[in-house]
Amino acid sequence: MTDDAPATPLAELHDVRFSYDAGAHWTLDGVDLTIMPGERICLTGANGSGKSTLARLICGLTAPDSGTIRLLNLPVYTTESGPDAEAYRKARRGIGAVFQKPEDQIVTTILEDDVAFGPENLAVPHKRLGERIADALHAVGLQHQRHSNPTRMSGGQQQRAAIAGMLAMKPRLLVLDEPTAMLDETARDDIMQVLDELQRQGSTIVHVTHRPEETAHATRILRLERGRLIDATGMATDSETFAAPETGSREKPSADAMPPAALHAENSTNSPLVSIEHLSYTYPGASAPAITDLSLTIGHGETVAIMGPNGAGKSTLAKILCALAKPNAGTVVVDGIPVQRAKRKQRAQVHATVGYIMQHPERQLFAATVAEDIAYGPRNQGLGEQEAMQRAEQTMRLLHIEHLADRSPFALSGGQQRLVAIAGVLACRPKLIIMDEPAAGLDDAARHRLHGVIRHLHNLGVAVMLITHDADEARALADRIVRISSPAVADADTDTDDASGDNRSADSARSADRVSDSLIGRLDPRAKLPVFLLVMMCAFAISNGLQLAVGACAVAGVLAASHIGVRRLWRSIRVFLVLFVLMGLANVLFVRTGTVLATIGSIPITDDGLAISALYICRFAMVIVLGAVFLATTTPTAITDAVDSLFSPLRRFGVHTQEVALVFSLALRFMPTLADETHAIMDAQSARGGSIETGSPLNRARALAAIIVPVFAGALRHADNLSLALDARCYEEGIRRTHWRVLRITSNDIVFIAAAGLTVLDIALFAFLP
Amino acid sequence: MSQSSAMQSHTDADHGTTAPSNHATGTHSTGVADHGRWSTRRIAMYALFVALAMAASLIELPIFPAAPWLKYDPSGIVCLIAGFAFGPYAAAIVSVLGFLPHMFTSPWGALMGVLVALAISVPASLVYRRKRTRGGAMAGMALGMAIALVVALVSNLLVTPLYAHMTVAQVAAMIVPILLPFNLLKFAIHAVVTFLIYKPVTALIDRAA
Repeated sequence: MTDDAPATPLAELHDVRFSYDAGAHWTLDGVDLTIMPGERICLTGANGSGKSTLARLICGLTAPDSGTIRLLNLPVYTTESGPDAEAYRKARRGIGAVFQKPEDQIVTTILEDDVAFGPENLAVPHKRLGERIADALHAVGLQHQRHSNPTRMSGGQQQRAAIAGMLAMKPRLLVLDEPTAMLDETARDDIMQVLDELQRQGSTIVHVTHRPEETAHATRILRLERGRLIDATGMATDSETFAAPETGSREKPSADAMPPAALHAENSTNSPLVSIEHLSYTYPGASAPAITDLSLTIGHGETVAIMGPNGAGKSTLAKILCALAKPNAGTVVVDGIPVQRAKRKQRAQVHATVGYIMQHPERQLFAATVAEDIAYGPRNQGLGEQEAMQRAEQTMRLLHIEHLADRSPFALSGGQQRLVAIAGVLACRPKLIIMDEPAAGLDDAARHRLHGVIRHLHNLGVAVMLITHDADEARALADRIVRISSPAVADADTDTDDASGDNRSADSARSADRVSDSLIGRLDPRAKLPVFLLVMMCAFAISNGLQLAVGACAVAGVLAASHIGVRRLWRSIRVFLVLFVLMGLANVLFVRTGTVLATIGSIPITDDGLAISALYICRFAMVIVLGAVFLATTTPTAITDAVDSLFSPLRRFGVHTQEVALVFSLALRFMPTLADETHAIMDAQSARGGSIETGSPLNRARALAAIIVPVFAGALRHADNLSLALDARCYEEGIRRTHWRVLRITSNDIVFIAAAGLTVLDIALFAFLP
Repeated sequence: MSQSSAMQSHTDADHGTTAPSNHATGTHSTGVADHGRWSTRRIAMYALFVALAMAASLIELPIFPAAPWLKYDPSGIVCLIAGFAFGPYAAAIVSVLGFLPHMFTSPWGALMGVLVALAISVPASLVYRRKRTRGGAMAGMALGMAIALVVALVSNLLVTPLYAHMTVAQVAAMIVPILLPFNLLKFAIHAVVTFLIYKPVTALIDRAA
């Protein structure tokens, strides 16, 4: 991978200092580091020790406060002359960076386009792009999913896609900042295999990690402590140096004593807190059920760990117990309340009984201070101001976070935020607490603190349902482990496992291929976009039978040439069609001319009215079918390219067309993510008793703010990560880019434009018919 | 084009912790994204605001019982916040791109949505840029509401006959009993919610910078 003589270091840092607070604390305080080609360096250290900061310095994504840095033999920073933008720019092009959050590194919705984005920014010639994409995808084992949508992949696949996006840029140095922190065990193994293979091929790797087992193949292990680097290669790297000592006092249930698959392991003597019998649930619109025939009981004060593969319905089960989703079949009784039949008032009771700590609960934080945020739930339960604050204080003491009371929750570290969010649920004093992967992404110190809290809850007699991937965690904390298995190939859950992801994407890829290879699919988007919009807008001018016939012919032709199956078309338009049929029918009520056929109340229904309704419904149907065909045959990337190209003349007037087009394409990619997160936050806040549908206007406004503020916070978090990912892919305004998808107007496009022109002309001419 | 402090920032926040920038010792900027160019951060920020506006525009809440077919969508709030935080150019981008997906289901309706969103958010952010106070924000939104109201009524006169079998005169007859109160209510909700969440949201943006 490197053309240099092997003796040239890839990165040299001397006496590098870095402070986030104007020198009050030095995150990095005199770091010296030289990275030679072929090394695999593991960078370790506690949360907040500056690992990520150092990683970003090595990537050239940020500059230090003082010191000397040479990257790829370029002097990017010296204390005397500061940062050298040109050197940084050059160095970045040869350094790859992979970050913690898998999905924030994805820029578009087709894998090969996503991988091509970096090389395009490097202006790699078009004829080389194909092999770059193929090689990179092969290296991470995603070669068969070239046409799949990476935003729908599992976290592990997404992270491999992110690595492929970097490999395609042929970096001389690859820096990975805790790439496995958000992943489960299997996905972690996949990533480690990819890294091992890259190491064998001679790549230079810097890997930030807090997992001891990931340092096994490192040529050097470095640890950051108090702002300085310590060589820890020879030192014991097992749990001794990484993990804090166990703090729990309660005797642990032994793993062997528990039959793993037991669902009814104990038949509790007095009535259990939760009893679930033959529960089934299918998400609206999903083909396969998320849960089938599940039975389970949880006793008062019992800690039950729920384990199972991704997509087995664990999170769905949590939602049902919180009365946030209604089961299709079976009975669910929580503290005597039949959840499957619960009305609004009973749902409120369930919310008060069951506390729901969703995955990444820190995403639900919203208030100006920690204490305010924690008091939100108690307030919703109708407690007075003083009482609610008292509850908040007690809960903060329980979690040892009382010193944070007046801080903004957004100014805390990740681990602290997690504890505050958990406090916000505990303050509601639930009898059962559901925790969905509460330790995900936490470092060891924070994880131990969390485990201490769970043990303490157990001692207080609070029941806990702990959803976890971590068998050690389950064994250490739970009275009982329940394993649930995937009912079918689940496609309802957002994080499906690799296998089902593969099947699904292969399936959709096949039908996508057929559509994108069709006549309409192959059209140049610069022709397709304006022509479709023009014809759709003209369809509103149709007002007689002849025009309708012309329009119908055009739509039929487009439909036939697009190879979209009837079922797929129907799926994508049914919602709108129903709406438009209703809108069209409404016209019946307003038309008074013609022969009266019947009357509804005092309103006459005339034959003219019916004819006009039919006309409007047909018009709407044409518009919606054309829109659906366009969206099905055109990728977001193609729309973006068309927008960019069509509006490029505006560049002369100072409009940043290339950037606006990129903004549009990134927005399309992040819209579903934000919608999902919004739903999760709404669930979490309504589990804390917040309701925008009921209560005084003030309470409703407060409930609304408790949703909107975290949604914005989430969007900003994504934006932060995304901007880093764009930097790592070397995107810059105004650079010369190459394009993997070349736009070319062919005879096909000319015919299409002519046919559309004829249609519009006919519609215009026939308007003058009597 | 306005360039607020949030957009000139660099990428130095350690994940999990956030940190103030522009301190005495240095900005940690590599200099790559300087000189008034669009930084990747600006692109990312606009992209997420557009995504929020798109997601919000899909929400439809009936707020006016007299006309159940008129739905409230909160995307205008996102346009207003974008304008206040990043200036009129951002307001325009979010207003236009946020409605683009609707072009393929209801082209004329989408056009109308874009015009109304532009009319409320761009004037509001222009006023706010001169007077960065709560009063400025209120005055800006008042001006925006007035302009948007005119735009909404005129575009309704032109577009509604395309969707329903009505003459312009028939639509005009609906102005006082239906269109005027609906739009006033819609803009009032925009303004109140924007006013409530503006401070916490800009605090978040500044913190991330």
